[in-house]
Amino acid sequence: MKKMIKVENLYHSYNNDDNYAVNDVSFEIRKGEIFGFLGPSGAGKSTTQNILVGLLQLQRGEVEVAGYDIKHIKNKMFNKIGMSFEQSNVYGKMTGLENLEFYRKLFDVETREPMELIRMVGLDGKENIKAGEYSKGMKHRLTFARSMINNPEIWFLDEPTTGLDPAIAANIKDIIRQENEKGVTVFLTTHNMHIADELCDRVAFIVDGKIRLIDSPKKLKLEYGEKLVDVEYFREGELVKDSFSTVAGGGKDRLVDVIRNHEIQTMHTKEATLEEIFISVTGRGLV
Amino acid sequence: MKLWHSFSKELILSSKSWYFYIELVMAIILLLILLFVVPEDFDSKGKEYIYLDLPQVVQERYAKNLLEEDLDEITEQAEVKAGGSVFKARLYETEESKIYLLDSLDALMAISKSESVPAVHVRANEDNQVIHTYYLQGYETVKLKNLLMVYHNRLAAHDVIEEYAENIPIRSLYQGEEAFNDRENLIPVFLTFNGSLMSLFIIAAYIFLDKSEGIIKAYAVTASSVWHYLLSKIGVITLTSIVTSFIITVPVMGLQPNYAALVLFLVTSGFFVASLGLLLTSYYKDIVESFGAMYIVILIMVMPNISYFTPSWSPDWVKIIPSYVMLQSFKEIISVNGNMSYVLVASLAFAVLGLDIFVLANHRFKKTLSL
Ligand SMILES: Nc1ncnc2c1ncn2[C@@H]1O[C@H](COP(=O)(O)OP(=O)(O)O)[C@@H](O)[C@H]1O
Ligand SMILES: [Mg+2]
Repeated sequence: MKKMIKVENLYHSYNNDDNYAVNDVSFEIRKGEIFGFLGPSGAGKSTTQNILVGLLQLQRGEVEVAGYDIKHIKNKMFNKIGMSFEQSNVYGKMTGLENLEFYRKLFDVETREPMELIRMVGLDGKENIKAGEYSKGMKHRLTFARSMINNPEIWFLDEPTTGLDPAIAANIKDIIRQENEKGVTVFLTTHNMHIADELCDRVAFIVDGKIRLIDSPKKLKLEYGEKLVDVEYFREGELVKDSFSTVAGGGKDRLVDVIRNHEIQTMHTKEATLEEIFISVTGRGLV
Repeated sequence: MKLWHSFSKELILSSKSWYFYIELVMAIILLLILLFVVPEDFDSKGKEYIYLDLPQVVQERYAKNLLEEDLDEITEQAEVKAGGSVFKARLYETEESKIYLLDSLDALMAISKSESVPAVHVRANEDNQVIHTYYLQGYETVKLKNLLMVYHNRLAAHDVIEEYAENIPIRSLYQGEEAFNDRENLIPVFLTFNGSLMSLFIIAAYIFLDKSEGIIKAYAVTASSVWHYLLSKIGVITLTSIVTSFIITVPVMGLQPNYAALVLFLVTSGFFVASLGLLLTSYYKDIVESFGAMYIVILIMVMPNISYFTPSWSPDWVKIIPSYVMLQSFKEIISVNGNMSYVLVASLAFAVLGLDIFVLANHRFKKTLSL
């Protein structure tokens, strides 16, 4: 399988000190796959993406994107890359259509019809309104649409559905799937387990700048599924609910401890959600 | 090609932003000030009011002496208004001053009061000694008072005065050229500050606006270079400064200036200043943070104005402040026989310096894209 992105021992510190926002991160993304960074806010997801697209300077580590070593970024590389930002950034003084018309001229490759993209993200009818007058969600959709304009081979999506209402988020997910079916490699970041679960071929759990695990959601659930135990028990007279993994994170020991020392009300095994797996692996929630 | 697209987009954007119109309006206001507020030729000759309280014979001798110094050797009858009354006077215009010979002490006193100018009452006492009485205004320096006293004690100090007078250095602002009138004299100042220095602020304003919208990041992930983006900004700003400079210059100066040199110099000095603005903005997140640095730059850039209006004060360090060179260059450009080699050398220097700063600014911007 061809590798579209290769990252080895990547570190980044905003203040050039020992306080790493990205700490010894290594991973690879194969051609045609949807790869997700799942982690709470502040985990280092955007920082990693920004290094990969050259918005942040590479400090330490090896990074290859679409065959280009990003130590020496070439403009040509961006013909193959699309980037949708977490915070929308469009020209407020230009209309939605003008924004895309201008942006397409900044590439050397065949670009897509702006109107086609505007229709895809459901902004048709609004294309001649100044982007400055768009709502937050509309701006976000325009930023998202813009990132597809050069038919990217690698598509970076930083929190693609965050802050969108569910119907629009579903629309965005569909577009990501469609584009991926056409062969586009996707690297997305999210703190939403549903996105990771529904879209990603593989996810990396990231917390405090470190990757804790990389696997496919399916395999993770198989591995952790059935092996999660929900227990209701009395502690100091009060009914307490808790989940224990029998696979990772010392869950087994805690479960034994509870059974030995407390009165159990109910106890079932169940299929774990990605978030529960995340918690049991990293000891941290997603928010 | 991408550079052209960026440039034309910046042009469209700036036509939608009000900074562009502020600049235009500023230029028009400056022009109106030049045309309607600044008199074309300010009367710089000093006026002297004298009342000769002397015997007829002496008065006539004095008048005859004055007449010999008069430019056209004709005595003009003039009327001087002061304190609501009109006084008759004989006006002699010498090379240095206009001398009004008054008919009465009352006239002298009234004028001294209302015009706030020193006046002289000359009379003879019983011993036929000539007495000069000066009506000063209170703001004269001790030096001047001493000088007057020494002056009237000629026998004692004549040599000293003469020697001193001969040693006063006189520097001419316009060597071998025709002097500008006041209106023309202000043009280099307006061009320097409207054209070149405004660029510094306008480009900062544009960049910070884009920074707040996150535009530069979006630009950075295209196959176009960040320097295209920066250069298009400079291009638009230079174009604006050419337009506004013409608005100010053409109506006042007509065809006299060397317009080719003007355009060249506006482009190179504008490039320099705008690059400087870019470099400055690369260190700050928003316009408020950058105020301190901007303020210091302004203070330094304003300094050469002092030397422009007071040529006797021009220490060497002022001459290397860019705005000094701009003032001088604009002066040469609008003069009849302006020194074009100076302008060319200055243009070259600004182009080279500007390029260095631009490269540095570009480097800084690439490093701080995610800010
Ligand atoms: N420009 C910046 N300067 C300093 N620290 C930053 C900057 N951007 C992010 N950080 C810090 O780096 C860490 C990772 O942030 P980020 O990559 O944005 O996380 P995520 O995208 O996963 O929410 C956080 O602790 C954040 O506070
Ligand atoms: Mg983020």
